[in-house]
Amino acid sequence: MVPYFEFQNAVKLLCGELSLERISIELEHLGASCPLVLSDAVLSKIGTLEQVTEAMQSEGITAGATFTDIPVDSSLAVVNRIAAYFREQGCDSIVAVGGGSVIDTAKGVRLVLSQDTDDILAISGVENLTRGKHIPFVVVPTTAGTGSECTGVAVIRNDANGVKMEFLSPFVEPDVAVIDPRMTMGLPPKATASTGMDALVHAIEACTCQQANPLSTAYGTAAIRMIAENVEKATRNGGDKKARFAMALASTMAGIAFSNSMVGAVHAIGHALGGVCHVPHAVAMTILLPHVMRYNLSHCAESYAALLPWLVGMDAALKTPAEQRAEATIAFIETLGKRLNTICGLPLTLSDAGVQKDAFAKVAEFAVNDGALIVNPRAASEDQVVEILNAAY
Amino acid sequence: MKILTVSIVLRVVHAALIELRTLDSRVAKEFERFPEGLSYSIRTGFEGPTLHVLWQDGELKRVENLPAPVCSLRIKSMPLSFQLFTGQMGMAQAYARHAFTMAGEVADVMRLARLVNLVEAYLFPKIMTRRIMTDVPETEVCFLRAYARIAWGFLTCKYKLSK
Repeated sequence: MVPYFEFQNAVKLLCGELSLERISIELEHLGASCPLVLSDAVLSKIGTLEQVTEAMQSEGITAGATFTDIPVDSSLAVVNRIAAYFREQGCDSIVAVGGGSVIDTAKGVRLVLSQDTDDILAISGVENLTRGKHIPFVVVPTTAGTGSECTGVAVIRNDANGVKMEFLSPFVEPDVAVIDPRMTMGLPPKATASTGMDALVHAIEACTCQQANPLSTAYGTAAIRMIAENVEKATRNGGDKKARFAMALASTMAGIAFSNSMVGAVHAIGHALGGVCHVPHAVAMTILLPHVMRYNLSHCAESYAALLPWLVGMDAALKTPAEQRAEATIAFIETLGKRLNTICGLPLTLSDAGVQKDAFAKVAEFAVNDGALIVNPRAASEDQVVEILNAAY
Repeated sequence: MKILTVSIVLRVVHAALIELRTLDSRVAKEFERFPEGLSYSIRTGFEGPTLHVLWQDGELKRVENLPAPVCSLRIKSMPLSFQLFTGQMGMAQAYARHAFTMAGEVADVMRLARLVNLVEAYLFPKIMTRRIMTDVPETEVCFLRAYARIAWGFLTCKYKLSK
């Protein structure tokens, strides 16, 4: 067991049916009445955003302002622009409705406002901030993957150098997260599968990295079980409410797990692929997971073996000889990826994702400078990252 | 005693970085990529010893103070600082155990962590480094050459143990 660990989850979770209709009273309890609602253009177009704002309005709180111009890979500049907009509009709180990009952008905006600055770059760091001014902050995830609603980290792209920067602080965590299954019902199969795999990566890396601890592992393993049981169901049948809700909860639990134990090389390389080649985060996670697990195998066979019962059930795991369980865990992940590929065309290789090999050197250079790599169970040099990328090509 | 030890080790680490630049190609490569003006400020515990270094004109200079370091690390306590600088805890372990806070970009901590790992691979015996690193880097030259150059640097006042 690790000789020392920290664990925090200060987010109030509203989980289940009719959760959206409780946002207004939560804002009221937080002393807020004029929220800036953040989302993206797609969610605005398909009516998801309206569903949230209507639910809020029906219970007495109207958005003070709305901002939906948040791109898929948001940037520091977008964060600073929204913070200025918040001040111009005289808002007093933030409601973020969206996937990882929207939520992480909102976290950045909240940091800028609470630290009373104009530029998020001026406050970047790890656990370096004091609490600052309290800006009530509610998030409504619309994917079941990022877990960002419960993490103490925001990942935001720096357009100046293409690097995805991590801002780590306990004060990044929202006050309230709303896990309403209605929010993911309309998610297309490919997005359901890739975000589900993203959640699986969070859980697996949280349970096997150097910072893993008993509490984060409890959340991580429970998330793995729910994902293994439900990701295919939710992908095949988007209307399966039970599977959707289970995936949403699993994503949140995986988020709590990795927020308290960090991730590893899948994320380090994935962030770099996003920064350099614009590969969507969840797609990069899906592609890289089995290859990074093979790379790590020599250093964490025991912890990979311990995950098998959570993936296949205790009975099936016990039928696998102990010395083959780590390999069986990786094989299960590979098979799951292939099954999802058959169902919805989920990309399984970097070439499928449109990555060119000539980008590998740059990706490796970025990856070794990513904070997630420091706690990976096995160290990785630039050459070793290129090896992993070649294997995933 | 802990404060004195940490103070000495901080200065030895700075000297080791400079000397290993000429002995180890990986250290040299890291420095080649240092942007001009990159600076680190390392504070240990509450008002413990500090190390401020600045990359300027192709040299890693130790300076008295840095009003606005690019990357500022603060080890949270003196016992943690002692563990970190005496080979009882590696940089990755320090990160995993929330042993320090950092203001600046994570990428700059990663550069420093790789350099510290290389320094530790030379300065500490494998029996220690295996406990604090998942993968101990191989040394490119005999560790005695590194020790000799560092010692010579202190004897000739190229480096100073005092402020």
